[in-house]
Amino acid sequence: MDIVFIFEWLDASWLSDLARTSAGLFSMVQAVHILSMIMLCGMLILGDLRMLNVVLTGVPSDVILQNTKKWIYIGLVGIILSGIYESSAIAMKLATNSFFWAKMAGLAMGIVFMLSVRSAVYSRAPEVIASTGPKSDAVDAWVVKLVALANLFIWFSVAANGRWIGFS
Amino acid sequence: MLNELLFKFATWLDGFQSSTNLHEALYAYGWVEGTHVLTLTLFLGMLLAIDLRLLGVAFKELPASTLIERLDRPMMIGFVVMLISGALLFYAIPVRSTQSIWFRVKVVFIIAAGVNALLIRNMTRASDMSWDNDPVPPKRIRVGAALSLGLWILVVASGRNMAYDWWDCHKEMPYFMYWAAGCVNEMAAFE
Repeated sequence: MDIVFIFEWLDASWLSDLARTSAGLFSMVQAVHILSMIMLCGMLILGDLRMLNVVLTGVPSDVILQNTKKWIYIGLVGIILSGIYESSAIAMKLATNSFFWAKMAGLAMGIVFMLSVRSAVYSRAPEVIASTGPKSDAVDAWVVKLVALANLFIWFSVAANGRWIGFS
Repeated sequence: MLNELLFKFATWLDGFQSSTNLHEALYAYGWVEGTHVLTLTLFLGMLLAIDLRLLGVAFKELPASTLIERLDRPMMIGFVVMLISGALLFYAIPVRSTQSIWFRVKVVFIIAAGVNALLIRNMTRASDMSWDNDPVPPKRIRVGAALSLGLWILVVASGRNMAYDWWDCHKEMPYFMYWAAGCVNEMAAFE
């Protein structure tokens, strides 16, 4: 399916005009994008390092995951909204940029993975990791660690590809 | 005086072939900058968790000392790598960085954030962490945490703005701006 029309629409929108003509606002939105990324990825890293038993070992994992959830969602909304604004300034250029598409693929994969696999597996983490008492439906510890590493890798690729858009 | 010294130092660094090589190397420079941003995420991610606890808005079930002590190592690892990659970025473009008003503002904010972190550490030690299990810490601790977050937001924003040339030395600006940016040649032409 050809979705270039979305970029053409964005390129011709008032948002694009605003992004191109307001350098000060654009730079502020860029800062919001980075700060949202820090909030999103920072909280994901904290949860994943906890499930890898690297940090806060022995602290019930539920407490960490529950507390990071809200900030992950705020960060996600922040990067998407600020990202749309940033994209509008160079929409047609991004339509053919490999790093942009790699980032978008990673972002979509990261969101789906976080909401499905990560969430399901972490809630069934064994006592040796979760420290929340024995569970009848617990998965093996290596599965939890594999999911944590996969999640870190996906979001690392999103951030790295995002940075490389600027160099391409 | 300080501007001249900084300019001489930057020019001296700029004379090294490795500085030019790093600046012009497409992949090496990109990787260093990518590492800088990613370790910034690790450092500020851990700091965010600690500051949110000190503000009393998250991780309220945990003693504050648990987060502070046990996130210290990953936070410092992120900080050290961020500092090294930041130094390399400076080394790659020393003259423009030295004469960037945003870079100067960023350094001031980093120093302020460091001083604030020391003050928070002293305050927590002086209080014997008697509020350790309280969901909401005392006001002075919350003010320190809010300041910490605010200062690091300004560090990130000013770092991002370094990419813009709004107040670069080649632009026409008032004398004060030349002085603030350290544009020594332009200042001399003014006099």
